Amino acid sequence: MDFATLGRAPMHLSLGRRRITSRDLQIVEATDELLSEEVPEPDGVAQNVSLLRGFNATIPSAEKSRIRRRQTRNVDAPRLGLKRLGMSARGMLGGEEDHDGESVASEEDVVYISNSETRGRKSKGKRRGRQSLSAGKTFGREELLRQTQEIERDKENLHVRRTLINSEIVEITNKIEALDAMRAKLEHDLLKLQEDELELDDELEGVKERLELEESTSRTRGVVHVDHIQSSRRRKGPAFLPSEHDELPPAGHSTPITALDFSEPYGTLVSASQEDSQPRVWDLLTGEEVGRLRGHQGTVKCVQVEDQVCLTGGEDGTVHVWDLRRVDDDDEWEGAMLSLSDVAEEDESQDGGVVKTNGIRSGSSKPSSVSERDGPCIRVLEGHTKTVSTLYFEDECLVTGASDKTMRQWDLNTGQCVMTMDILWAISHPTAAIPGNALPNHLFSGAAAAAGTFAVPTPPYADGTWDMYEDFVGAVQFWGYALVSGSGDGAVRMWDMRTGQPHRTLLGHTGPVTCLQFDELHVISGSLDKSIRIWDLRTGGIFETLKYDHAVSALQFDTRKIVAATGENGVKIYNRTSMQHSTLMTNGHMKPVERLRYMDRYLVSGARDSTVKIWAL
Amino acid sequence: MPTELPYAADAEVSLSYDELEVLRLQYQKELSQSHVTTQTKFNYAWGLVKSPMREHQAEGVRLLQELYRAEPSRRRECLYYLSLGHYKMGNYDEAKRFNSLLMEKEPTNLQAQSLASLIDQRITKEGYIGMAIAGGAAALGTILLASLIRRATRK
Repeated sequence: MDFATLGRAPMHLSLGRRRITSRDLQIVEATDELLSEEVPEPDGVAQNVSLLRGFNATIPSAEKSRIRRRQTRNVDAPRLGLKRLGMSARGMLGGEEDHDGESVASEEDVVYISNSETRGRKSKGKRRGRQSLSAGKTFGREELLRQTQEIERDKENLHVRRTLINSEIVEITNKIEALDAMRAKLEHDLLKLQEDELELDDELEGVKERLELEESTSRTRGVVHVDHIQSSRRRKGPAFLPSEHDELPPAGHSTPITALDFSEPYGTLVSASQEDSQPRVWDLLTGEEVGRLRGHQGTVKCVQVEDQVCLTGGEDGTVHVWDLRRVDDDDEWEGAMLSLSDVAEEDESQDGGVVKTNGIRSGSSKPSSVSERDGPCIRVLEGHTKTVSTLYFEDECLVTGASDKTMRQWDLNTGQCVMTMDILWAISHPTAAIPGNALPNHLFSGAAAAAGTFAVPTPPYADGTWDMYEDFVGAVQFWGYALVSGSGDGAVRMWDMRTGQPHRTLLGHTGPVTCLQFDELHVISGSLDKSIRIWDLRTGGIFETLKYDHAVSALQFDTRKIVAATGENGVKIYNRTSMQHSTLMTNGHMKPVERLRYMDRYLVSGARDSTVKIWAL
Repeated sequence: MPTELPYAADAEVSLSYDELEVLRLQYQKELSQSHVTTQTKFNYAWGLVKSPMREHQAEGVRLLQELYRAEPSRRRECLYYLSLGHYKMGNYDEAKRFNSLLMEKEPTNLQAQSLASLIDQRITKEGYIGMAIAGGAAALGTILLASLIRRATRK
């Protein structure tokens, strides 16, 4: 082949106009790279429609025969605007269409010359007036056969083009999907960054406070201890820094707030109040009521919101699972309101009649899914015989505590009760309590608790009023298999959810435990005995006791602070680093605060004055 | 897969200026919309390859290469067109390499076979020219050498 290269040399030399451009070199150089690429079997549209087929179908001359036919038929081609319109609307072939005119113009001439005789006659006919196909002209068999063939070919071409366009659409759809996925990933990354920033802010503030504290006390403690524990009750979910503000949704409730929770700062808030079976859903961004959750047959006592999922438990002994995306303002609600009055009686009659269910046997309690109606309610969990006073769920696992003195664990996927934990049994079979901590005067003995319904008057609030406290299980929380409950006997119990047995009881409170939360190190519980106790999880002893003037009804904490509702108009904040107490009073509630929940620096509180207020911490 | 490929003769039939212009405009329009469909690109590339002008052919081959990179499912078809493009441009070595890769994949491909024989013809033709040149050069050399020797021996 050396001769061949040699033979080519004079060609390059002699044909001066065939100069080698950089593009030529580029092309030749790319050869090796291209040849080394994988050549897979053609699939999809590549298998059905070859490039050449597509070429023949889409080049402008593909339209020629049709235009010629139309001309012979005296049909004005542009008058078929519909098809043209469709083409240009699709945009893909618009360019071609536009230039058809040009190329056809030249084509027309050719046709005219080639069969000028027939043409001449026809053009006369054209002038006679535009006639349709049936206007009594003869084309001859040959011409008609040709037209038939042409039409068939055109149809095939059309089919090819359709296939091509369809494949392009599929391809674009795939691309869009890929881009969407990428966008979602990036958004997620952004969120994570925001969270990280927030965490760092938190850490920095903690360190600063620590620094100030240590400087002021002029005590050198050596290394500054930095907490790594995340801030809020939730470990995941988006977090945003709220700007300083103090806005409140317009008062919609007319009775004291019994429960509230929200999905995220500026997200969705669900609040419930006494003697109202319909918790309200608020949009925290606009401060407007989005709708109500209709389905309960009595006061709703506990609410938890995670993203779009909301769980509520109420006096009717049921837990409802809601999809907050389906909440609408417009469905009728008068019907549900009417049945409110006779709920209480119904409840009582149930109390007497129904034998208390015990053990796992009652796992068969009917979980009726009420999804036939198009409402936001996804599922109703039935099983408790009395008021569901507290609930906590994470992912698919739910634990509820009720005034029937049991706790139940549910699988939210199936709606089945997985386990029932009986607190009375735990009371009568006490586990090894921490010696020295044992409470001399229990609020009740086991027998007394079993005897009747649990009810104690709350110590008077700051404004002198008081209520009957009937929630036997004040609070539950779990992490993994570790469950912690606070109950009416003043005990904080730690359960193993695999066995359903309590393995440790923290005794110290002298009144019913109303609220608690735990993290890796501590359990913090609030009680009607006007105190908050911080328990050390390792030793089981009391790490710290905070005394207040009135009963504690709600609390939440993170590594740096404890936020609590303590029967006063202001929200109490205890700084765990500097050990300072502060109160949120400005523009605050007119009556004692009973419920609160915060996320990062965004606090929502509900009070006995029926209002819900939002605070920036 | 039905082999629907044009014969090499097809590549010699160039499109009219108008037709090529339509294809170019279509390509350019889609380019400005930043989504060029495979078919449009191919149409323009194939139109360019068919053109008798070498610059056009080079541009056409370049577009075909782009297609080849971007569309794995079209690669086998593109192999043939690339080979044909190179053949038209006179890059017989490249043409042969692309074509032989295609023959490897599809030994029964008639178009590829005919293209292969065409390429071989051209190469042998060039080979003959080369041989002739080499022969001529050799002859010239011997004559020169002979004359030199003769001149040297005379003195």
